[in-house]
Amino acid sequence: MTIPNVPGRLPPALDSPDGVDLDRVWAGVAAQVWRRHPGWTERTAARLLRSPGLARALVTTPSLLMPWLISTVVAFGVGALVSIGPGQPLVWLIAPGVAAVGIAFAYGPGTDPAWELSLSCAVPDRMVLFARGAAVFAVNAALGLLASTVSGAAAALTFGWLVPMTAVSALALAVSVTARSASVGAGAGVAAWTITVLASQTASGQATAAATNMHVYLPYLAVAVCCAAVVGYATRPQREF
Amino acid sequence: MNVEMRDTRRSFGKNRAVAGVDLQLGTGVFGLLGPNGAGKTSLLRMLATVLPPTSGEIRLLGRDPRGAAARREIRRRLGYLPQSLGYYPSFTVVEFIEYFALLKEMPSSAVPGAVAAAVERVDLGAKARAKLRTLSGGMLRRVGIAQAIVNNPDLLLLDEPTAGLDPEQRVHFRRLLRSLGGNSTVVVSTHLVEDVGTACSEVALMSAGKVVFRGTPDELTARGAGHEVGDAPLERGYSAVLAEARS
Repeated sequence: MTIPNVPGRLPPALDSPDGVDLDRVWAGVAAQVWRRHPGWTERTAARLLRSPGLARALVTTPSLLMPWLISTVVAFGVGALVSIGPGQPLVWLIAPGVAAVGIAFAYGPGTDPAWELSLSCAVPDRMVLFARGAAVFAVNAALGLLASTVSGAAAALTFGWLVPMTAVSALALAVSVTARSASVGAGAGVAAWTITVLASQTASGQATAAATNMHVYLPYLAVAVCCAAVVGYATRPQREF
Repeated sequence: MNVEMRDTRRSFGKNRAVAGVDLQLGTGVFGLLGPNGAGKTSLLRMLATVLPPTSGEIRLLGRDPRGAAARREIRRRLGYLPQSLGYYPSFTVVEFIEYFALLKEMPSSAVPGAVAAAVERVDLGAKARAKLRTLSGGMLRRVGIAQAIVNNPDLLLLDEPTAGLDPEQRVHFRRLLRSLGGNSTVVVSTHLVEDVGTACSEVALMSAGKVVFRGTPDELTARGAGHEVGDAPLERGYSAVLAEARS
């Protein structure tokens, strides 16, 4: 059923017969006709996240074309770089930060046209960014899984980077929702990733490589400072209010 | 009081956008007038909890927005139309308004009805399912107004809401403003004095970051007696107060 494309108000002659508020009746009909029926993914996400707003942000992430393209390039680019230098634990530790900065830029004040409006909404903008990040990694992981059937390199990238990052970003989002704090969620994500990296490096006997190789200290530090500076700059008004 | 500001200031580097504003607002439509660069948009952004003040105090809807929980509660009851409304071109009118209704944490069951009512109030029923990229500038402005009022806000902040609206829509919008002002605090920033004269119960005039006049539109008109600059009585009052403030 569709409502024809006519202006919503009825002619004055038809207004309020027998005390019926036709505007209200019309709005009720329009609400039913225009109502969007969320898909299974959105309904599940809304239940899990306890926030229909976050669920909507999650499922609409790929539809915002420019941010999506930038985020995808960042996610795949960082993953490819990480795969080149798998022997360095600090590369693995810093890589999610670089990816997070890229996604925050793409879906944040950098390119999101409605960012100003989002800032005035009750759902915190950083939680929305977590949802965006989780969606970016999840969808790209799904694409990576498909590509893995025909390419060994794609499988390495998918299982070594995209799938773990999907898990970490989902964890960060879940913790931030539970704790009602984006900072706590970010801390949980960082902690989980650090433990995972250090545990895997210890298992392969390479945990001391980063500490003993002094040549990589400066670049790592520079990257970490840049990431912190970009995040701090991008989110400064909210922090201070 | 829904809005209380005490000696509120906001600077951007060396530029003082808002230079000590005291404001208390209850229900009604409040017009914020002033030339470009007077500090209207910065003031509105502070009220929208988007921009923190450099110094001074703000209380909105009885709460201090510096606390995260209080800020969240304020935002649930807030409607905001920024000066330049960004939008998602691939969203339809209904999808866009619904998205922000959900981000304002409206109950899911109430969202479809509220969205439909908001769309009707801005007279966009015929375009409800149109993609935003297909709409004209005036229609996009009405979409922006619809998303601002979708949650029946107790505090509604509109920055240049009538920019791009045709005369008929402007009249319709002023009527809408008056009805909204019956139960909530509506702050309208504009440089169109005729909007203020017909829709606002009270008006403040800003110049160089300060409020240089506060009163009713009639009182502003009275200030223009004998002043020659301006085509309409209210414009003459506006020009007279500004000239006095600058001197």
